[in-house]
Amino acid sequence: MMLSSRRFTKKRISLLLAYSLSALLMIWLSYLLPSLLPGDFVTAMYSTSEDVTLTAAQESELRAYYSQDTGFSEYLLKLIRLDWGNSYAFLTPVSELFFEALPWTLLLLVSANILAALTGFIAGVEAAFRRNSRFERSLVSCGTVLEGLPEICTGVILLAVFSLYLGWFPAAGAETAYAELSFQAWLLDVGHHLTLPLASLVIAYFPGNFLLTRTSMIMVISQPYIKTAQAKGLSGLRIRYAHAARNALLPLVTRFGLRLAFTVTGAFVVERIHAYPGLGTLLFNAIRLRDLPVIQAIVLISSIMVLAMIMVLELVYAYLDPRVQDAYQR
Amino acid sequence: MHINAKKKMLRDPWLLTGGILFFFFATASIFGSAICPHDPSAMEFTPLSSPCAVHPLGVNDCGQDIFAGLICAVRNTVLFGLTCAAVSLCIGVLIGLTAGWFGGIIDMLFMRLADVLLAVPAIMVLILISALFQPPPLTLAVILALLIWPTISKAIRAQTLIVRESPHVRAAVQMGAGNSYIIFRHLLPELFPLYLIGFSGKCRMAMFMEASLAFMGLIDPGRKSLGMMIHYALKYYYLDIWWNWLLPPVLCLSLLIMTVTFIVISLEKMLDPRLRENFGESSA
Repeated sequence: MMLSSRRFTKKRISLLLAYSLSALLMIWLSYLLPSLLPGDFVTAMYSTSEDVTLTAAQESELRAYYSQDTGFSEYLLKLIRLDWGNSYAFLTPVSELFFEALPWTLLLLVSANILAALTGFIAGVEAAFRRNSRFERSLVSCGTVLEGLPEICTGVILLAVFSLYLGWFPAAGAETAYAELSFQAWLLDVGHHLTLPLASLVIAYFPGNFLLTRTSMIMVISQPYIKTAQAKGLSGLRIRYAHAARNALLPLVTRFGLRLAFTVTGAFVVERIHAYPGLGTLLFNAIRLRDLPVIQAIVLISSIMVLAMIMVLELVYAYLDPRVQDAYQR
Repeated sequence: MHINAKKKMLRDPWLLTGGILFFFFATASIFGSAICPHDPSAMEFTPLSSPCAVHPLGVNDCGQDIFAGLICAVRNTVLFGLTCAAVSLCIGVLIGLTAGWFGGIIDMLFMRLADVLLAVPAIMVLILISALFQPPPLTLAVILALLIWPTISKAIRAQTLIVRESPHVRAAVQMGAGNSYIIFRHLLPELFPLYLIGFSGKCRMAMFMEASLAFMGLIDPGRKSLGMMIHYALKYYYLDIWWNWLLPPVLCLSLLIMTVTFIVISLEKMLDPRLRENFGESSA
């Protein structure tokens, strides 16, 4: 017992170390890559762009910004102090732009993930209990087809149908501009704007959750303790959710961490399609205007946030499931 | 055993659908330029004209034939996916076999490196690199491959650890076979099913990422790609041309990703030894 818990912590620490190392690697890349740019990159990058024309002062400032060698530790300090440079297109500090957009992205991402996890989980549990029925087969087929549908496509299709053709939902924005609404009306308005991007993301995340829950549930229900529960005459709901489903929950948590980076990218793309004012739209505009400091900050901070999230999950996971300790000994 | 697997594969509707669609896309991208007489980058037609016999999908805003562009875009996306998958498979298999066979410090070093790379959000690195340097797409595919091999090599390593203990490998060791002989003659062919799964999985991921990057405008605008076509068509969605300009790339991209997804899912069901033997224990 002593031995097992010691080995378990060792494995855990090495994983946490790996995550911190990859966070450092990201910061280092973001520090190093700009200094590898060829000398006259400013001309090369901006002369071909019809959207941006730099003044001579901005041009020299940009050159100076990317040719200064402050050292890695100074870069780290600046990062912590939220001193991420100035945007060339919007002429404001990058951190200001970032924190303006962040809440919308978080709202979209968190609600989409919760919804997709809940629906996927319940559908997966129900499907596994009705194995080989018509209901299960059609749900699995649906899930497989949806799994092959990238966010770009769902987003575009939903936009075309519900906002252009039917006109039920707004095509852009996160709230009605300049409408001074009461709090409740404002909430409704935000929800109305959120629906389409949220639906695109849920459709993209649902099938993975569903298929995974189903396979792990099928494993779980073949265990003897489920037979015991059935023999005791417990109700179907109780067996499904109190006995079986708990054990099928864990793969879902692991997978969530691994897929988080993809989810963020998916959210960026969907935000752009629905012109939702989050980080994705900011990134998209920054790319169009070749606003390097903004691009760098979004990429770096969102990857650090993803890594922090994975680390938290890794810690939570151990408390959720005592069996993890055994699994790590193999 | 093998014959059974083959029969089962042919009977699986998902694999069949995936295979047929894949064949369709492969022919379209190989013989596409023969079907369509126009040059996809030539700007010589009336902009925004609607579909007719000469231009089956009409002409875009800068006077390029959309159908020719679509074929070219499918080819580029497929090529990106295949390149990335091939490179990451080679790296993943080599490292997985080496780590699994030699064990010890080599194993530890490679697997710790894999842990670090697994945590790195690959798409973020790609966004950063392509925003700063605007490299050619195939270079991007190779960079992506350098970041995503760990999942392949972890699966291969776990399976190598099992095969290593099997009687025929032990016998080969007894008879004095060298490390490279065992790795290339015994381990490499034995784990073949895992390569198929790894390859198609990475191919799917790479095509998906290429579409996202192109959609964000990070890949050279002169190169046709599905993501970029969606990006440009979306600007004109308020005109009545979304069904001949916006819809075809959306459909093609969905079908392309679906094709590979079907193949991945059915291959995993049939060939993954972890799913077949001790289904569910995925903590490798």
